[in-house]
Amino acid sequence: MTELQAGQAAAVPRIETQSQRTRYRDLLIALAAFVVLASLPMFFGSKALLDFVIRCSAFGLFATSLNLLVGYTGMISFGHGMFFGLGAYGFGLIMQRTGVPVPVAFVATLVITTVVATAIGAICVRLKEIYFAFVTLAFQMLIHSTILSWASLTGGDQGLRGGIKRPVFLGIDLSNHVHLYITSCALLVIGLLLMRQIAQSPFGYTLRMIRDNANRASFIGIDVWRAKLTIFVLAALFASTGGIIMALFVSGAYPEFAYWTISGEGIFINMLGGVTTFLGPMVGTVLLLTLNDTVTRLTEYYGIVLGIVILFFAVGLRKGLMDFVVEWFAQRRDGAGERAP
Amino acid sequence: MTRTRKPGVSRRATLAMMGAGAVTFATPWVARAQAKTIKIGMPTILSGRVAQLGTSSRNGVMLEVEKVNAAGGLAGRQIEMVIRDSKGQPQEAARVARELVNTDGCELLFDGEASSGSFAVHEVARDLGVLCIHTCSEASSLTADPKQHIPNAFRSVRQGIHDSIVGGSYAAAISKAKGLKKWATCSPDYAYGRDTTGEFTLYLKRFAPDVEIISESWPKLFQPDYTEVVTKILQAKPQALYSCLWGGDLTSYIDQANIYAMFSAMEVFAVNMADYTALTVVKNLPKGIHSGNRYIKTYPATAENAAWGDAYKAKYNEYPTNWSWQNATAVMLLSEAVKKANSTDGKKIADALRGLTIKCPFGADGTVTMRAEDQTLVGYAIGWGTTIPQEPYVPEVKAGDWKTIFELEAEWKKSKGYT
Amino acid sequence: MDLDALTGCLASSACLVTQTTSGFIIGMLLFLVAVGLTLIFGVLKVVNFSHGAFYMFGAYFAMTAYQFTGSFALAMLCGAVGTALLGLVFERVFMSRVYGRDVLMQLLVCYAFVLIFDDVVRMIWGPEFKSMGMPAAFQVMPLFIAGGVVPPYYLLLIGVALTMALILGLGLARTKIGKVIRAAAHNPGMVSALGINTGLIYGGVFALGGMLAGLAGALAAPVRSLTPGMGFSVLIESFIVTVIGGMGSILGALIGALLIGMIRSFGSLGFPLFTEGLMYLFMVIVLVARPTGLFGKEVA
Repeated sequence: MTELQAGQAAAVPRIETQSQRTRYRDLLIALAAFVVLASLPMFFGSKALLDFVIRCSAFGLFATSLNLLVGYTGMISFGHGMFFGLGAYGFGLIMQRTGVPVPVAFVATLVITTVVATAIGAICVRLKEIYFAFVTLAFQMLIHSTILSWASLTGGDQGLRGGIKRPVFLGIDLSNHVHLYITSCALLVIGLLLMRQIAQSPFGYTLRMIRDNANRASFIGIDVWRAKLTIFVLAALFASTGGIIMALFVSGAYPEFAYWTISGEGIFINMLGGVTTFLGPMVGTVLLLTLNDTVTRLTEYYGIVLGIVILFFAVGLRKGLMDFVVEWFAQRRDGAGERAP
Repeated sequence: MTRTRKPGVSRRATLAMMGAGAVTFATPWVARAQAKTIKIGMPTILSGRVAQLGTSSRNGVMLEVEKVNAAGGLAGRQIEMVIRDSKGQPQEAARVARELVNTDGCELLFDGEASSGSFAVHEVARDLGVLCIHTCSEASSLTADPKQHIPNAFRSVRQGIHDSIVGGSYAAAISKAKGLKKWATCSPDYAYGRDTTGEFTLYLKRFAPDVEIISESWPKLFQPDYTEVVTKILQAKPQALYSCLWGGDLTSYIDQANIYAMFSAMEVFAVNMADYTALTVVKNLPKGIHSGNRYIKTYPATAENAAWGDAYKAKYNEYPTNWSWQNATAVMLLSEAVKKANSTDGKKIADALRGLTIKCPFGADGTVTMRAEDQTLVGYAIGWGTTIPQEPYVPEVKAGDWKTIFELEAEWKKSKGYT
Repeated sequence: MDLDALTGCLASSACLVTQTTSGFIIGMLLFLVAVGLTLIFGVLKVVNFSHGAFYMFGAYFAMTAYQFTGSFALAMLCGAVGTALLGLVFERVFMSRVYGRDVLMQLLVCYAFVLIFDDVVRMIWGPEFKSMGMPAAFQVMPLFIAGGVVPPYYLLLIGVALTMALILGLGLARTKIGKVIRAAAHNPGMVSALGINTGLIYGGVFALGGMLAGLAGALAAPVRSLTPGMGFSVLIESFIVTVIGGMGSILGALIGALLIGMIRSFGSLGFPLFTEGLMYLFMVIVLVARPTGLFGKEVA
């Protein structure tokens, strides 16, 4: 990972000069992607395809936001899943208990996430490397224990039962499958676009600098703690949005959403797709979900198959799929360049 | 996935990747035309710590499905079971259930999930309107709570509240006879454990008012070590102990309590002991543990039940579990309901299922009933007895009285605000 | 919360003895698993996420050996030696390929094997839970010490674990091999420059770690049910132990394990519904106050 990151850092100035153009290009691509996704239901009658994309939106937002920490800032969080769970529970509880319109519940959930993430982040981001990983994991388990113990509020291990009601707002009816699908796609595309802006902004380059050398960053006057806390909270917001989509998809929230395995899955998706490209985690999400869905159809020894695939990536490829693809193309282009006189 | 391109990845390559991806994804998603066979989808847990739930549920279902198919199927259509692993994750259970209906063309669902997974599948049934029979979840609120009620979901499973009423009155009788006044409880810390224990003590105190609970322990589900719990109970010196630990947790607990000689110090009431999975696994089973029946082939003591247990053992080379009979009952109910409705349409089957009474080897009087009001199973064999370390394990079972159960259950529902 | 029960217990010698030994029992088994984890981290700088699987294999090996031979000693030996061999092969074939690479890559390889090992156990021994059963020699009445209850089997267990702790501590501090291992942990480049085969040391340490976890599993087999995935909760607890004690410190693992044992033992009296939460809370407090753990060395 490190050599690749160094390579990316060298490319910084060129991208900076083009930042304005890149921004418009990103916006256009995002629009195009949304149009393509939104028109899918017109061409394919398959409900499973829509379900698949909805799940991709939930996990994709979660995994990409984790990459803001892991890939861009070098903070390996083992507890990112707590915000996924927090989003699902926050949104589900607000909808079940208060009956406010969906957008209000959405914003309120994000506000709650901000508060919780700031409190937890303020403690966690002081720690480095593996210790940061452990303390985030400990917080995740603490939140999971609390959800299980606080049964009067959360329903304990049985989760939020009775379904999440979705009153119609602005003509959008989230209990309609297609409406839910379009909304998920919109959230995904907007979320990715925002994260892309963060990654390409000057702040994004501050993060890369912290990743590569935190001491140097702090010598030139960057408040490392504050920058780390900011990205920790921002990433939590997107993870929380992913959790909200998941809560809408299953019409409930379950303690498994806040369990460490969700964080583990996020890390795994990142490794699968690659952490050096912005879209790596998104590719990883599609890969893992496809793998999951096909393998569970074929065998109940899912663990062995998944384990072997992981080994292929970790020991064989030694990098994520997007990393591999990008490198391969770069090599081919460079090779061609050398041959030309 | 193509919104931003790294310099170096050509547009053509990206398109090619997308195309290849589309083909890969689309293949399993092409909906198939309705076939002569009728597909029943079943998400269940086939991996992880409770994989036995899934495997023995599957065995129970398949044993009966083969009989139904041999006899001509459901209204002339052969049953094809599509059973998939949810790994015990609720979001996977929901995903698998939706996929089974939307993609694989399953017309009915059996929900072989436990705890949170069953509620997730319940929501899928609510959303899709497909007929769904819960075959594993014992959580009372799944059918008792009117907020959960949907016309297309049924349950072919015993319930915690029934066990507690029967257990409470059985334990109270023994309490009075032996003068057991000081009780301790030790149950897993999750909804099933807490609810069942609360209900058991409620009825115990009702039938034996001078009973006092002097100590409560709540180990975590799947906790490997119970030493601190065992010693805590020994400190409290109760005369009797109630536990609704189950499966591997129960056997661990017994092994660990055994070396503290706990079973000679107090009477133990473990509702989930009399299931072959626990009975055959514990090497040094203490004599005289009081237990509810889960599944044993000697109770009900009928030829049908014994024959069913033996057939299962012969086919799978293991004893049936509590999950096995519940899943088998689901198939029996379904098959009778289809005969009655003379149709495989989910709505018509649901109408036929409501209030349906069928002959069944697991019934207290040879029949079980799908109660119409809350669409859950009643009339199944339920009773308590004491264990011995070898076959038949529970030589004498004192049957629970369904009349009392119904009365107290109605009262309990009222107290919970369910009716 | 039930603070009366806690203070009541602290005032009675019988309760104090019983709960303290119960804390010791929980702690010492945990120590055997955690010390392997901490050793492997200290020398190889790898967080062995698959460590729980060795505990699981130890238990299954012991059970199978006990079924065939009926000898408790042989069962323990099989559990320990079997997992040592497994550890050696695992390290040489897979882990050795990811040294010095990204921490995430190492974790991923371990995670892959958690999945694979669990499924392998399910294939070989089946999905249902098993029980080894207590050997007849230990099916005796518990001892009463100062009014407290102590089962003889647990005395053996504590004895074995303490012996292991002593051997490890002394072995690393006093013997030549111990010095080489410590040197390899400190500066592997220099050690290999001196003509010592670091690959052999790494494999050996991994085998030793695996053996300790396997021994813990074997010792636990008579009293705990065996299922695929049983190593998982033990792994999480030993992580907490190593993080509290300090990654890489054997003394830290011992103290951390005993602390967790006591928290469980006395916490279950005072906070019966939040015993688990108490452990995580303690871990958070330690990490915040002293990120490297109680006995960990400051990272440069």
